Amino acid sequence: MDLKQRIKACLEQTAELANCQLLQPVTDDTVLLQSGLDSLGFAMLVAQLDEELGFDPFSEMEIAVYPRTFAEFVQMYQQYQQKHTGV
Amino acid sequence: MPDCLLDALPKIDQTALIIPGQSGQSAAWSYQQLAEAALALRAQQPDLQNKVVAINCSQLQQFLIELLAFDGYCSAMYLQPAPELAAPDRPVTPGQQTLWYLATSGTTGTPKWISHSLAELTKTVKSTAASGQLRWGLLYQPFRFAGLQVVLQSLLSGSCLVDASTGESEQRVQQLLNARVNALSGTPSLWRQLLFWPELPNLPLTQLTLGGEICDQPLLNQLQQCFPQARLRHIYASTEAGVGFSVTDGQAGFPRKYLDEGFKDLQFKVDDNQHLWLKRSTPFAATLQARLDSAGFLDTEDLVRVTSDRVYFLGRASGVINVGGNKVHPEQVEQRLLEVDGVAQARVYGKSSSILGQLILAELVPVPGADTDAVLQQVRLHCQQTLERYQTPYKFKWVNETKLAETGKLTRSTP
Repeated sequence: MDLKQRIKACLEQTAELANCQLLQPVTDDTVLLQSGLDSLGFAMLVAQLDEELGFDPFSEMEIAVYPRTFAEFVQMYQQYQQKHTGV
Repeated sequence: MPDCLLDALPKIDQTALIIPGQSGQSAAWSYQQLAEAALALRAQQPDLQNKVVAINCSQLQQFLIELLAFDGYCSAMYLQPAPELAAPDRPVTPGQQTLWYLATSGTTGTPKWISHSLAELTKTVKSTAASGQLRWGLLYQPFRFAGLQVVLQSLLSGSCLVDASTGESEQRVQQLLNARVNALSGTPSLWRQLLFWPELPNLPLTQLTLGGEICDQPLLNQLQQCFPQARLRHIYASTEAGVGFSVTDGQAGFPRKYLDEGFKDLQFKVDDNQHLWLKRSTPFAATLQARLDSAGFLDTEDLVRVTSDRVYFLGRASGVINVGGNKVHPEQVEQRLLEVDGVAQARVYGKSSSILGQLILAELVPVPGADTDAVLQQVRLHCQQTLERYQTPYKFKWVNETKLAETGKLTRSTP
């Protein structure tokens, strides 16, 4: 499974655990905070991805940057994955 | 500071309050209108003089008018978080000053009423020549300590208050932008949430305050970059102890030199257990005497790490977990978990979160022979029914035994 799919699966799973109802299927253009996932759900997603992938971009940034859409979110993880694994 | 809020209100012909409406329309009240409405309310309610009143906070303009009318007029005011929370039926000894009762958030169980005086609540209110130009955004609930501080700061310094205390973060950002808010106070978690909206840096902020949670460096850097014109400060406050100070150098934690030199009327020290102790020039309340040492320092029960030039906050010694500004007592969550059949032991602790400060995790020990999958399902269901969402562990781990300290108590540290 590629990174994007993994993140998407994790997002759907987290939404269920966080008791958040996703409004529509998640696409690249989905605005994260309008997806139905609230800040608690979002925090859980980032924590879960940290466990699965072994890194958390938000805690590594020197200046906090918050992606707006799902595509931007995935892109950020792709950048940090390269940094961590060189892949 | 005059004895009553109404007398202290600036006599100016300026907008005091803006409440944004549904479709971009907003309603506004001037200082004069609020003062006149408060006097009219006193005239309508002569029987309430020296009585105890409950103030409902569902409408901000009515809330402000009632605060103005009843402070210095009634013997006590209960600021009702919700209509369903009844003020306790307890006599109040009439004094010279009106007592302001604020409810604690109730995360420890039943909400408690704590009394304050106007003088105490307005101790940190600052008024400068530029105050009249400030437009304060209200992000907190006005009946809680932090929200009331913003309300009083704005009213007493002749600024304009803009209500953004409810709604989704996108809507709130829009309200702040429409009203051209230039002074804003929020918890670090709330700031992180607002920063998701790319329009946020368009706010013409000149005053930016963070409080209520530990503040981290990346967030301070980001806010500094977004709002280079703003005076950035983060506040440490122990409301129960009535002490606090603000840090304005843009760095997390506070300068180590405070430990040697003190800061304003405060003296600082850190003990071997990493607890921060504070002493102030005026005596602490009688109820806090048990927590003072022989030199008159108070144990804040906040854990700190001291480096060569800085002191950083780590969290609460009691293990209280702070999820986006909401305090969670691990023992309370453990009790709920232990109510489920099949759970023999439970340990709840905080894990640091780059988004909300901390999140809740739980370790469970099953009773022998239990079907752990089925029990976990029951645990999740029971949490949904008995806990707030922020109190609910986001992850459960089955273990053979829970980690105990040498005292035999559960440890709260992350494994």
